Amino acid sequence: MPVPALEILHETIRNLYFHVCMWFSMMFILTVSLVYSLKYLNKPNEDYDIIASQSSYTGLMFGVLGLATGSLWARYTWGAWWTNDPKLNGAAIALLSYFAYVVLRNAMDDEQKRARISAVYNIFAYAMMMVFIMIYPRLKEVDSLHPGNGGNPGFNQYDLDSHMRLVFYPAVIGWLLLCSWIASINIRTERIKRHLANQ
Amino acid sequence: MRSRKAWLAIVLYTGSTVYISYLGLQGYTDTATHNAVFWLLIIFISMFATSGSFAGRDSEMFYIYTLVSPSRFILARLLYNGIFLLSVSLLAFICFQFFVGFGDTNQVLFLAALLLTVWGISSLLTMSFSIASKGGGGFTLMAIISFPLLVPLLITAQHLSEMAVAGSDTSGYGGYVTVLLALDGMIAALCYLLFPYLWRD
Repeated sequence: MPVPALEILHETIRNLYFHVCMWFSMMFILTVSLVYSLKYLNKPNEDYDIIASQSSYTGLMFGVLGLATGSLWARYTWGAWWTNDPKLNGAAIALLSYFAYVVLRNAMDDEQKRARISAVYNIFAYAMMMVFIMIYPRLKEVDSLHPGNGGNPGFNQYDLDSHMRLVFYPAVIGWLLLCSWIASINIRTERIKRHLANQ
Repeated sequence: MRSRKAWLAIVLYTGSTVYISYLGLQGYTDTATHNAVFWLLIIFISMFATSGSFAGRDSEMFYIYTLVSPSRFILARLLYNGIFLLSVSLLAFICFQFFVGFGDTNQVLFLAALLLTVWGISSLLTMSFSIASKGGGGFTLMAIISFPLLVPLLITAQHLSEMAVAGSDTSGYGGYVTVLLALDGMIAALCYLLFPYLWRD
């Protein structure tokens, strides 16, 4: 599929099919994790905890991939691997707080206590992350280099003949499905592990 | 509640960290650096002050469990920690002004930034310290949990206070104040709703 020929961006515009889709997948699977954490607090069921924890581990993996592809892209277009940008800070905070979730879970041995307390933390972390990723970069006072923020055009304005949309939309669906599939494998593995441990 | 000795310890901690930063800042005259150092000080003072209120409470907690509901308990604790941390950070601000100074500061805007941020920090630390103490991980776990969640507050606070100390254009402060207010409100609501699940085992 042809892409618009632009200065600086050149073929790196194709990163849209990877980077953006990975963040979409991460947000999706972390939202699944949030829903199951809420369900767990409402009604303590071990399976909800398994789904919540494995979903956020999968989300963490997609976050790292999204960060890596974004960093690579930034090196070629902005000239640096990392910049002090609200969007990048948000991403770093999201990943750090979910790494903290992993550490918190590993710190506790009792299964029920671990499930309850990590569910509380998960809800807290998700809310803070949403504010910082979704709301903060959209403030007009905040400057950003990131496409679609700080007065920069998003890639949708370059896509005049909709060739990119033709690839982008299926790519989003594909990545979401891939993400759900990986999460479901993680969830089933964890179920078997717990089952064997209980025998 | 808190003994006089603990108060004295925090006042001394505040005074000495400010003095150390004064010594370290010799030769750095630009206000942006002073501003950055001040917010770092605020984090460490808050961590120290808030963690103190969780130590050695186990025997008291037994009575508290039987007396009050968790939501009333967290409201009281948020209020107490908030006021406590505000007075400590106000002390830090005065000491910092005395020793280091920000130059030509817009005091009202700076104090507003300090008040809104410290209130948020205090609720956030209260909640993450209760999570960490249930997790049994001690101080390291507290730091790991709370630092990433503190960053949004601190970045916003730093932008806002930079406007105040630069003495320049302060017209764009509205957005930052709104973000800080929204964060404070959200953190308080989450504490109120989620704390009952951390209440006793």
